[in-house]
Amino acid sequence: MTQKISEPVSVSFTFDSLRRKVYPKWLVWNGKLYAIKKIGLHHTYREGRSLFHVFSVVSTTLFFRLILDTENLHWRLEEISDGLPN
Amino acid sequence: MASQINFNSEIPSIMHIDMNSAFASIEQQANPLLRGKPIAVVAYDSPGGCILASSIEAKRLGIKTGHRVRDAKAIYPKLITILADPNKYRQVHLAFRKILADYTNDFYPKSIDEFVLHFKNYHTFDYGLKNIAREIKHRIKSEIGDYLTVSVGIGPNRFLAKTASNLRKPDGLEEINKNNFLDVYAHMNLTDLHGINLRNEARLKSAHIHSVLDLYYATPQKLKIAFQSVLADYWHARLRGYEIDNTEFTRKSFGNSYSLPHSTGTKEEIFPILQKLVEKTGLRLRSNGYKATGIHLALRYRDHTFWHKGKSFKKSLFGSLEIYREMIKLLYEAPCKPIHTIHETCFGLISNKETQLQLFENVIEKENLVGSLDRINSRWGSFVITPARMVLAKNNVPERIAFGGIGEL
Repeated sequence: MTQKISEPVSVSFTFDSLRRKVYPKWLVWNGKLYAIKKIGLHHTYREGRSLFHVFSVVSTTLFFRLILDTENLHWRLEEISDGLPN
Repeated sequence: MASQINFNSEIPSIMHIDMNSAFASIEQQANPLLRGKPIAVVAYDSPGGCILASSIEAKRLGIKTGHRVRDAKAIYPKLITILADPNKYRQVHLAFRKILADYTNDFYPKSIDEFVLHFKNYHTFDYGLKNIAREIKHRIKSEIGDYLTVSVGIGPNRFLAKTASNLRKPDGLEEINKNNFLDVYAHMNLTDLHGINLRNEARLKSAHIHSVLDLYYATPQKLKIAFQSVLADYWHARLRGYEIDNTEFTRKSFGNSYSLPHSTGTKEEIFPILQKLVEKTGLRLRSNGYKATGIHLALRYRDHTFWHKGKSFKKSLFGSLEIYREMIKLLYEAPCKPIHTIHETCFGLISNKETQLQLFENVIEKENLVGSLDRINSRWGSFVITPARMVLAKNNVPERIAFGGIGEL
């Protein structure tokens, strides 16, 4: 089931200079910490000149769609899913 | 009298790459919890919504592109439906392009999930097309996504390269060449050939052509009797590996359509939606450097009837407002009853560098105003400045992505 959230979220974000990769490591949502196990896809989009980075990631049981607004470097949790039908 | 020609003896130099279940695979790439499950990417998540792409697992159940959500869920009630996310598909398409550009400059996208690559006269040709294909497949998995697969076909012309890519799905790599073409043809049905539909098949059968091998061995005279057109020569050349499909089609029109979830049948409910459709079309028209000299409006009604009308102008149209005003005039000629789908198009494209001055209107001033509005919308996001009427359209007419039209990516 997919659920729209659209609220600010705390995210730990890392840059690996050797592999030249960036990735979110964990997030805190609703007072619970979720370790990110895998990044499915990283893509970007623009609204006007503002650039947004979208990280589609999974913890052990949940999918999270995280959006980084490059104007203010704030994170938003856009949606979550457990991979089951609605 | 035309005579038979032999199969092209050159080493195949054309590669066709087709991403398997593109939109659905990209969604499964993004969300690993969806992998291995029947999913469908849809335009609208409602029972009447159309399936844009089904995953490999859904295809195995018989759920295909074009099915309605309700029909697909009748086949498999636990089907997971995902709303299309054009930004994602666009980015993956561009990442594909970046990889392919390392092997040849002579390639072009046939659609959002298909590419044709030419290797003749490129140094990479010596490396062998099958080796290149394996490397591309590996790079797609390591650089774009480990769940994404492509079927690759290699052939002496575009048609046979595409045919080869369809031989094994998903994740295929097949070649059709002078040594194996008869064996490949022997295992195909006529309708497996891209361009032969059921009607063409019936036409061929009436000329005693029952298989692909029959089609290959048919004399040009027999093909002429079957096709009754220049298609006979095309098929004769295609199946022998000669290129006749290297035609590039130029853009003829810009348009948008929208299916209304509900409709009472009043013109007033259509105005804001038509306004938003026209705003999107106008912006695309101008940003691609065109003006239009014609408009077309088509309405499909809920009672399954259809109405459409086009109009050409001596002057050129470029501002969304003037296109909208002309569309409204057409709309008033249409029957007033509940509408299912509204489709508007601008055609008769001319370069926006051509300006026809008019006696009673300051065209240059108008062009400057429209250009300024477009720049503001481009800086702050589409539709930050819109006609007041469009507010009523709310979130109707969301962004869509075309399978074929990749020119605006």
